[in-house]
Amino acid sequence: MAAPLRPTSLRNLNLLLRTAPRFVQNQFRAQSTSSVNPEEVSHFNALASTWWDPHGSSRLLHLMNPLRHNFIRGCHASQPKPGPTSNLRYLDIGCGGGIFAESAARLPSTGSVVAIDPSPEVLAVAKAHARRDPGLQGKLTYLNTSIEGLPQPESVEEQYDVLSLFEVIEHITHPADFLDTCAPFVKPGGWIVMSTIARSWTSWLTTKVVAEDIARIVPRGTHDWEKYINEEELRGYFLRERGWNSPRVMGVVYIPGLGWKEVAGSEKVGNYFFGIRKDEV
Amino acid sequence: MAFLIRQQALRGALPRELLAACAISLNSRHFIVLNRPPPNYPGHVPLTRIEKAGLALGSAVMSLMDPHRGDLIAALGEATATPYFIYRLRDAMLSDPTGRRILRDRPRISSKTLSMEYLRALPENTVGRTYADWLDREGVSPDTRSEVQYIDNEECAYVMQRYRECHDFYHALTGLPIVREGEIALKAFEFANTLLPMTALSTFAITTLKKNERDRFWKIYLPWAVKNGAQSKEVINVYWEEQLERDVDGLRAELGVEKPVDLRTIRKAERERWRAEKEAKKRASDSLGIN
Amino acid sequence: MKPTTASARTRQLGNYICSSCSHQLRRQRRGYASVTQSIKPSIYDVVCVGGGPAGLSLLAALRSSPATANLKVALVESQDLSKTRDFLLPPNQFSNRCSSLTPSSVRFLDTIGAWKHVKKERVQGYTEMQVWDGISGARIEFDWHAEKEAGRGERPIAFMNENLNLTSGLLKRIDELGGVEIMDRERVENIGFGEESEEVDLRMWPVVELNGGRRLAARLLVGADGANSPVRAFSGIESRGWDYERHGVVATLETEGSGWGGDASKTAYQRFLPTGPVAMLPLPGNYSTLVWSTTPALAAHLKTLSPKDFIAMVNAAFRLSPVDLAYMHTQASGQADEFSWRAQHTEFDMQRIPQKAVGVQEGSIASFPLKLRHADTYIGERVALVGDAAHTIHPLAGQGLNQGQGDVESLVKTIEFAVTHGQDIGVEMSLEQYNVERYAANNMLLGVCDKLHKLYTVESGPLVGLRSIGLRAINSLGPLKAFLMAQAAGTGVKIL
Repeated sequence: MAAPLRPTSLRNLNLLLRTAPRFVQNQFRAQSTSSVNPEEVSHFNALASTWWDPHGSSRLLHLMNPLRHNFIRGCHASQPKPGPTSNLRYLDIGCGGGIFAESAARLPSTGSVVAIDPSPEVLAVAKAHARRDPGLQGKLTYLNTSIEGLPQPESVEEQYDVLSLFEVIEHITHPADFLDTCAPFVKPGGWIVMSTIARSWTSWLTTKVVAEDIARIVPRGTHDWEKYINEEELRGYFLRERGWNSPRVMGVVYIPGLGWKEVAGSEKVGNYFFGIRKDEV
Repeated sequence: MAFLIRQQALRGALPRELLAACAISLNSRHFIVLNRPPPNYPGHVPLTRIEKAGLALGSAVMSLMDPHRGDLIAALGEATATPYFIYRLRDAMLSDPTGRRILRDRPRISSKTLSMEYLRALPENTVGRTYADWLDREGVSPDTRSEVQYIDNEECAYVMQRYRECHDFYHALTGLPIVREGEIALKAFEFANTLLPMTALSTFAITTLKKNERDRFWKIYLPWAVKNGAQSKEVINVYWEEQLERDVDGLRAELGVEKPVDLRTIRKAERERWRAEKEAKKRASDSLGIN
Repeated sequence: MKPTTASARTRQLGNYICSSCSHQLRRQRRGYASVTQSIKPSIYDVVCVGGGPAGLSLLAALRSSPATANLKVALVESQDLSKTRDFLLPPNQFSNRCSSLTPSSVRFLDTIGAWKHVKKERVQGYTEMQVWDGISGARIEFDWHAEKEAGRGERPIAFMNENLNLTSGLLKRIDELGGVEIMDRERVENIGFGEESEEVDLRMWPVVELNGGRRLAARLLVGADGANSPVRAFSGIESRGWDYERHGVVATLETEGSGWGGDASKTAYQRFLPTGPVAMLPLPGNYSTLVWSTTPALAAHLKTLSPKDFIAMVNAAFRLSPVDLAYMHTQASGQADEFSWRAQHTEFDMQRIPQKAVGVQEGSIASFPLKLRHADTYIGERVALVGDAAHTIHPLAGQGLNQGQGDVESLVKTIEFAVTHGQDIGVEMSLEQYNVERYAANNMLLGVCDKLHKLYTVESGPLVGLRSIGLRAINSLGPLKAFLMAQAAGTGVKIL
């Protein structure tokens, strides 16, 4: 390739290789069958004890959580035919301490939430915290596994209405494979919703330099800028695979003192939500 | 511009006596000479502020030149009593139970209400007898006080009238004679006690005194006046009509007023000494053969 | 049991130290109370302690909002609420505890569906306020002048209403909606923490223990329990302020008419005396309610007077000079006579002061001490404070009850947001929005009323003139006056 190396890492070349013949793909496919990166896991284990401290290093995640629900509501509202409004099943992958999982379990429209995370310490924190709320009993299940360890659903009833990947995909070494593995868990007509960070000079500045080094509101080493994905890459991936529709994007910006705010267009440079719907059969 | 604001305030018709010392002029009811309001009491002459100021100035000058013009002194007193001082005096009366009774009963002091024969017949050293003796000694009667004309508030006009009529009682209380020196000393006492500006202005008359009289004033009578006037109870609150048969020293003690050195005695002694000196000088010059 | 600050610290540290260590700490503290904790607590989403206007408003709002209608809520109140329910007085009798409701509070009460249950024939809207200085006579007149001029009729500034009328209306709304477990005639014996069990860990949950042994575990414990709030004491939140060394004397008065403007145009009057402001606020018909803030000694004196002399003192308070008033306060009786004499010699504009009081309702003369208090914060972990538990204010601006309603409106909004976004409504992070929205605004109002009180206690000197000039200036500056009126009504621009 004669073009100079633009901020596109080898990992994203992987996405582009989706269209290549399989033998070419096999050249580049990772050897392990797990999407989990051990470095990431150990990093988050260290953060386990502060996960639920509202003024600790996870404060930004807490502040972002309401927007996740707004986004999911927006996705459901955009459906041409309204879907079920009760007994929804959620699968939260990479649930961490359970910020989103607990909040999803509390919604009246939720039937059950299954939340998984590969990090045992963080999951222990999540379980201990969930015990503090009697209202969550029976609605929330935590499993210490990666997506590969989850048994495949055998019927529509075992599939999920909403599969959530909040602040997860930027920690995955081989995102395309990972998304392939997730796909069967979603019901027809169900949604994958995720939040991640665009890969741009702005996001490098804000999430690495400012957030991690200067203001220190995000623990050092949390993010690897190389792993950020842009929304057009995600869109491209899903729409090329027949079977997905209605991509939705919402860019959000963190303003110190005011919290996270929805800012149209900011998905090009910073944090954003991405949702995509599986075709109804 | 100021006139227009006043007209608007007139329409507002705010209560007059609820004014603070640092009076906001917008609130005084103002009128022009062509449109005088009706009098508030018999004898009342409403004046504009300019007229009042003119009256104050004119009567101050004239009464300095001729202190026997009682009417001018009276006018000066009325013109300078507002806006604050007569209200303060009235409030001092309202704060005291006896003062309130006086304001309710509105007693007047004149030869009609006080019988001189009765007063003369009272025992020695009673208030009434001292008063009668003093009137006789100085050759004055209780009817020499003029009526209040220029104070707008009816109740304050009575307060001024009462103050004026009681003036002779203050003479009796302190024993100061009617000569200019005595009057000035009494005015100093009254200022320390009632705070009426006219009393202070009257003390400027010491410029007309002789040197030895002035020295006496600074040395003896001013300190006495300030000390007693300030420390004693408000003399305006004394219900004189009820105190006539009382022992005057007892009243003085109750009020906290000391009798100053008797001025007439001092003056008489001084005159005798001066006459004796003159005699001695004449005899000395005679013996030397100088005519 | 008054919690030590150690317990507060323990809770705050709960997220930093491992659960077994914090368990140890808690066990050490709980030693002597373990016996009663054998009864399993009933779990509620919201337990509101206090059945006054703020507490009842909160429950009515939570029940009437669809988002929060599924929350399990309970009310704990020490008094007998049936008295409130059965509130019924004839039209010529009024309770002596009345409050001025701002249009903003009325709008909120209407939104939650409680206003329709308030007896309107006992509510009096007033369209004008006359406020003046007792020393200098400087005056400010409030009314929505522009509306009157534009022919849109007279817009009320606020509404005078008996507190019992309001609470009875709120209780009716709660009964209408149902779903609230009301525990009245129940004293709160103790507030502690829950325990850990097999299924659930309630060590961070406040548990209210009632007299009968019943235990209520609250996801969110709301303290609407007045100035000496036990909930606030439990949460370890300090409340700071000072006593004004004044008592507010209240009474229900009958005046010689129904106001200079008649029933259609009622006026509220307030005169600033050096000892404190005296206010006469209109009620329907020929009735008014008196709120006279004065020194404790003078308040005691007023309460010893015969009705005739009391009425004379009230009339004197609005007409005579402070000198006369001071003298009349020294009399044991005979004020009626004194008043009629002095009134002849005092000038006042009859139309701009209240009509003469001619009667006082028997048994309605009472007094209460005035103070300023502000809690350091309104929220804690699983605790929120509303109303007098959070702040106490001087009554001179008629804002106290309205502040409580504003608190409730904000707290309900915060809870609604938490529920619709799956948050745990009791967690301090979920409650932050409430504190942010209400704390600064309340603080400012408390401060303003405090400074006004201090400004008007000055009897002489340059400050009297300055404040009079200031008052007259504001009176003549239409837009500024309108701004102040809108702020007081709660309908103005939000500046904090």
